[in-house]
Amino acid sequence: MSVISLQGIKKIYHLGDNTVHALRGVSLDIEEGEFVAITGPSGSGKSTMMHILGCLDSPTEGSYLLNGKNVSNLPRQELADIRNRMIGFVFQGFNLLPRTTAVENVELPLLYTRPVMSNAERNKRAVEALTAMGLADRLDHHPSQLSGGQQQRVAIARALVNKPALILADEPTGNLDSKTSIEVMRLLQELREKQGITIVLITHEPEIAAYGTRIISVRDGVIISDEKNTPRNPEEDLAAVAPIAAASGY
Amino acid sequence: MGFAAHLIALAWQALMRNKAQTLMAMLGVTVGVGALVTSMALGRGAQEAIKDQLLAAGANMIIVNSGNYQTERAGAGGSPADHGYIPSPKPQRTPYLVKGPIPGFPNVRLLNAHFEDDPMAEHDHPLASERLGDNMAGLGAAATLTLDDAEAIRNEIPGIDFVASGVHENARISLKADPMKQWFTRLHGTESDLPVIRSGWIFPYGRFLSASQVRDAEQTMVIGRVVAARLFGEGINPVGETIVLWNQDFRVIGVVDSTSWAAQPSAGDDQFDAIYIPVTTVHSLLNLSKLNTITITTESAGETTRISKQIEDILRRRHGITEQMPDDFTVKTQAQQLLGKGLSPDVARIVAGNLESIDALTIEQLSASLQRANRTMLALLAGVATVSLLVGGIGVMNLLLLSVTQRTREVGLRMAMGARGSDIASQFVLEAIVLSVVGGLIGAACGVLVAESLEQVFQWSTDVSVISMVFAIIVAAVLGIVSSVYPAHRASQLNPIGALNHE
Ligand SMILES: Nc1ncnc2c1ncn2[C@@H]1O[C@H](COP(=O)(O)OP(=O)(O)O)[C@@H](O)[C@H]1O
Ligand SMILES: [Mg+2]
Repeated sequence: MSVISLQGIKKIYHLGDNTVHALRGVSLDIEEGEFVAITGPSGSGKSTMMHILGCLDSPTEGSYLLNGKNVSNLPRQELADIRNRMIGFVFQGFNLLPRTTAVENVELPLLYTRPVMSNAERNKRAVEALTAMGLADRLDHHPSQLSGGQQQRVAIARALVNKPALILADEPTGNLDSKTSIEVMRLLQELREKQGITIVLITHEPEIAAYGTRIISVRDGVIISDEKNTPRNPEEDLAAVAPIAAASGY
Repeated sequence: MGFAAHLIALAWQALMRNKAQTLMAMLGVTVGVGALVTSMALGRGAQEAIKDQLLAAGANMIIVNSGNYQTERAGAGGSPADHGYIPSPKPQRTPYLVKGPIPGFPNVRLLNAHFEDDPMAEHDHPLASERLGDNMAGLGAAATLTLDDAEAIRNEIPGIDFVASGVHENARISLKADPMKQWFTRLHGTESDLPVIRSGWIFPYGRFLSASQVRDAEQTMVIGRVVAARLFGEGINPVGETIVLWNQDFRVIGVVDSTSWAAQPSAGDDQFDAIYIPVTTVHSLLNLSKLNTITITTESAGETTRISKQIEDILRRRHGITEQMPDDFTVKTQAQQLLGKGLSPDVARIVAGNLESIDALTIEQLSASLQRANRTMLALLAGVATVSLLVGGIGVMNLLLLSVTQRTREVGLRMAMGARGSDIASQFVLEAIVLSVVGGLIGAACGVLVAESLEQVFQWSTDVSVISMVFAIIVAAVLGIVSSVYPAHRASQLNPIGALNHE
C-alpha cells in the first residue's frame, strides 16, 4: 500500500472573474521510504501540491489516499487531527516560535494530540527528538540564540516528534547557505535510510532535488517528468564546499 | 503540573512576550476590578453601618409593658423618671418634686423625681416579713404580664431572636463609702442575656450579670454610664465598689455604655441612667412574682410591625380581653421611642428630608430612607466600576485583536501542527482569562487598600468580604471571556495556508 496515492487531483482558484488552474490533474503514488523531490519553476503548482499533500487544503477534484484513507474531502477539524498524527512539516522560514525554547518549540505538535499527552511524556519526547538532531546541548536556547542550520534542525525535530508517516519539506534550504543546506539534506537522507521515513521535498533548485531518490518535475499544474534518481552524496559536496567556506572565513 | 496548568503557564508566557501591551490591557482590568471592589466595600460598609446603628438603637426591639398607662395617664405631663412606670393606685399621694441640686448636698442632683415612686421610701428595713408584695411595689392591678406570657411569645411567633422578662423600679442608691453621694435612678431586674438584646451596648468597665449570678439571686449590680459618672466621676472605674440599695449592699461588677449615635446616654434615660441587678434578686428582696416588661428582639428590623401585631393578638387572647375592651398592656417598638428622643441630627435630617410626616414614620421607612441615600452613592460607585470594567474589557479585546494579527503566522503554524480551530480559540480565551484574572487580583488588592485608606483617612465604614473578592475575580474572568470571544473566533477561523504565509 502506498503512503500517498493521488488520482486526478485538480485545484482551481477563483480570483474574482479569473479562474486559476493551479493543478490540472495530478496522479502519483509514493511508497514508504521514498525521498521524493518535487521541482519546477515558480508558479508551477508545487506549493499547491504540498498544501494538498499536507492536508492543509482540499483538492477541487480528484482523490487523495493517505495511508489508504481518503482524505480529499474531510472537514477542517479532521484534517487538523490527520496533520497532527501523520504529517511533519518543515518550512523554508523554519517557523519557530520566537522567545520560546527549542524544547517548547518541539513540544508544539504534542500539545494537540488526542488523547492529551502528559507533560512529562511530552518533554521526554521533545528532548529525545532534539538529541537525535544533535541539539542535546541546545534544549533551552531560544531560536535567536541558534544558527540557521540549528534552527532548521529544531524544526526537523519538531516535524519528527509525533512519529509521522510523512515529512513534507517546502524549500527547507531556501534560507540556508550552501554548506548548511547540504548538511540538512544529509540529515533528511539519514532519516530515510536509518528510520525509513517517507519524505516529500519541494524545491525549485535542481541541485537540492538531486539528493532525493525520485525527482518529479511539475509545470503549469501537471507532472512533466517522474524519474528514479541516484541520490547525490552530501559528504562529497561538503568536502568540496569546505575549502570555499574556509577561504571565505567561515 | 497538569495539562491545564501547563496551558495556563503557556498562556502566561505568550502574554509576557508582549509585556508592554499586556500590562496596558491588564491596567484596564485592574482599575475596573479595583473600582468594583472599593465600591462593594463601601456599599457593604454603609449597609452594615446603617444596620448596626439601627440595631444598636434598638430598631429590632419590641417592648411589652404591663398595663396601658397611656390611657390611664391621659392628660398627665410626662415625667422622664417614669419610663413606662405604672402609677400608684393611690391618687391622694402628692408628689414631692425636686429639681436641680438639693440644698446642702452639692453632689446630689435629682433631675426630676417622685420620691413616692421609690418603693423603699416608706420601708427602710425590708426584712422578709416586711417585704413588699406585688401591690405595694406598684405592680398591683396593672401588673398583667407573667413569665408564661413571655414563654408564649417566645414559642408562638416566628422571627423572634430573644425574649427577656424584666421588673423595673425607681430606686434611690447611695455609695457605701460615702452615703452623702446619692442618686435617684431607674432599676432593672433582668437576666444575663439583656446585652444581646441591647446590641448597642459596650462595657467600658467590668461585665454584665452572669447567668449564675441571676440564678443565685446575687446582690451584684451593673450601673449605667450616667450613674457611674454621677456617683464616682467620669472615667473612674467603679468595679468592686459597693452601692447601697434598699439598705442592702450590692457589689458593682460593670458599667454599661452606648455605641450608637442614635442612643447617646443622658440623664434620665432608661438604659444608661439606670442600674441592673438580677431579676431573681428583685423578686426575692421585694417578694414579687409579676413582670413589668417583656423585651423582644426580632431577627430583622423590618418585621417589628408584624411581630408587634402578633404579640398584641396573643396577649389579648391569653388575658381574655374582648373586642370592646382596651389592652391591659402596651406594645411599643424601640423605633417609636427613638423618634421621640435621642434621634441623632443626621438621622433627623434624612428623615425630615424624605418623609412627609414624622408621625407616620415606621422603622421600615427610616431604614428605607437611609438606604435610599446609600443607594444613590452606591449607584454612583457602581457606575464608575461599570465604566472602568467596560474600558478594561475593551482594552483586553484590543490587545487580543492586535495579538491575533501579530501572531497570525503562529496560528497558521499551530494549525499545521494539528491544532483545531477550537484549540486556537481556547488559547486566546485562556490568555484573556489569565490576563484578566491577574489584573483582577491586582485590582482586588488595590481595591482593598483603597477601601482601607478611605476608612483610615475619612472614617468611612467599609466592609471587604471574601464573597466580594470572589465575585470580583469571577467578574474579571467573565470580562476576559466576553472580551476574547470575538478575537478568539477570528483566530480560529483563519485559513492555515494564508496564516502561514502571512507576513
Ligand atoms: N490562494 C490562491 N489564490 C489564487 N491563486 C493562487 C493561490 N495560490 C496559488 N495560486 C496560483 O496557483 C498557481 C500555482 O501556485 P503555487 O502552487 O504557489 O506555485 P509554486 O509554489 O510552484 O510557485 C500560481 O499561478 C498561483 O498564482
Ligand atoms: Mg511556492
